[in-house]
Amino acid sequence: MIYIPVTSTNIYQNFALEYFLAAEKRFKEPVFMLWSTTPTVMLGKYQDALAELNLNYIQQQSIQVVRRYSGGGTIYTDAGGCQFSFIQPQSTTTISFDTYIETIQQALLDMNISAEKTSRNDLTIKEKKFSGNAQYNHQGYTVHHGSILFDTDLEQMYDALHVDDMKLRSKHIASIRQHTINLKTIRPDLTMADFKTRLIRNVRATFAQHDTYHLTAAERQRVMHLAETLFEDESFIFGKTPHTEISKKHYFPGGGLVQFDLNVNHGILTDLRLTGDFFSNLDASHFAQQLIGRPFRPATLKRPIQQALAAYPILGIQTEDLLDLLFS
Amino acid sequence: MLKEVHMPKLSPKSDQYFFGSWLKQPGDTVKVGDVLFEVETDKVISEVQSQENGILKTQDAQEGQATNVGDLVATIEVS
Repeated sequence: MIYIPVTSTNIYQNFALEYFLAAEKRFKEPVFMLWSTTPTVMLGKYQDALAELNLNYIQQQSIQVVRRYSGGGTIYTDAGGCQFSFIQPQSTTTISFDTYIETIQQALLDMNISAEKTSRNDLTIKEKKFSGNAQYNHQGYTVHHGSILFDTDLEQMYDALHVDDMKLRSKHIASIRQHTINLKTIRPDLTMADFKTRLIRNVRATFAQHDTYHLTAAERQRVMHLAETLFEDESFIFGKTPHTEISKKHYFPGGGLVQFDLNVNHGILTDLRLTGDFFSNLDASHFAQQLIGRPFRPATLKRPIQQALAAYPILGIQTEDLLDLLFS
Repeated sequence: MLKEVHMPKLSPKSDQYFFGSWLKQPGDTVKVGDVLFEVETDKVISEVQSQENGILKTQDAQEGQATNVGDLVATIEVS
């Protein structure tokens, strides 16, 4: 086994490092890494960002958005949690999670944390999830990665992943919501740093042979390049879903009912209808034309909405109200 | 000669997969080992490679749809 120390908390670089190891470095032995992130939401490869994320809140809180190359649902991570990665030649074409999860399970047991593995390949304590796992197979290599909640901000996790009820139609993989638990509640005596040190030591101890590898300067450069071109690519993060139809409405006290019916194709707003019983001289068709064709994200729609409302205000309803309705 | 490509079994738990995306288009030359398409099942993204040398003739599965083990997914014209 080869252990690679990771100090970066940049999610794009850390996903690029996994990809680099599977697609280009291709060690014969399994690689293990443990790392953390700044506040980040991670979409599964075939998920719809609009169905999973509270984009307005995410932008306000400066939370990073990334799309994994692996499957499964959306998760929230921050410096209070950690991610583990195993990268190795694919031993079989049949999917298996057991070896990886059992390694983590044993490493936790050595810290007196007794976890159960579920049929969905999560790790739980008292039926509350603290670890999810996912994989992708690329060019004969398996990248298995998982998350561990140790002292994550669960309130922020809930807010970032809480999407108001709405009508949404698209072809995507939907997340399954579960109760969660931080491991710090089981082992309050451990700091995050202690926990990570012991987890690394315990995982390494399960392999007969283990070495440490440090990337060369050229390899680090290559990883930075892959991060920029693959994982920071907004068309990959937000444009993966071919077609989404959304219908959202809300009654604003003192303002009235506002309803949006819209279509988003590969992350671009392609159709929008604004209806309701609000008071304004705003021409709904002209308003729609000012927004259509732009990336469907709070940052790109805020200014044209502001400009439209500056010219034709809506009584009792502000730009932020409309952004909340569109993206929360 | 036309060779059929059927959905292989990838998961011990499931026989129905989410068809993710095509990596080859009709008319493309394909070689043994080239990735034709990828699917998702049980939180895993798997690439499915061509077992033939030839030209991809038809795509018989749609992105974003469910596909079952054994379903006809594509045809390849082999010489």
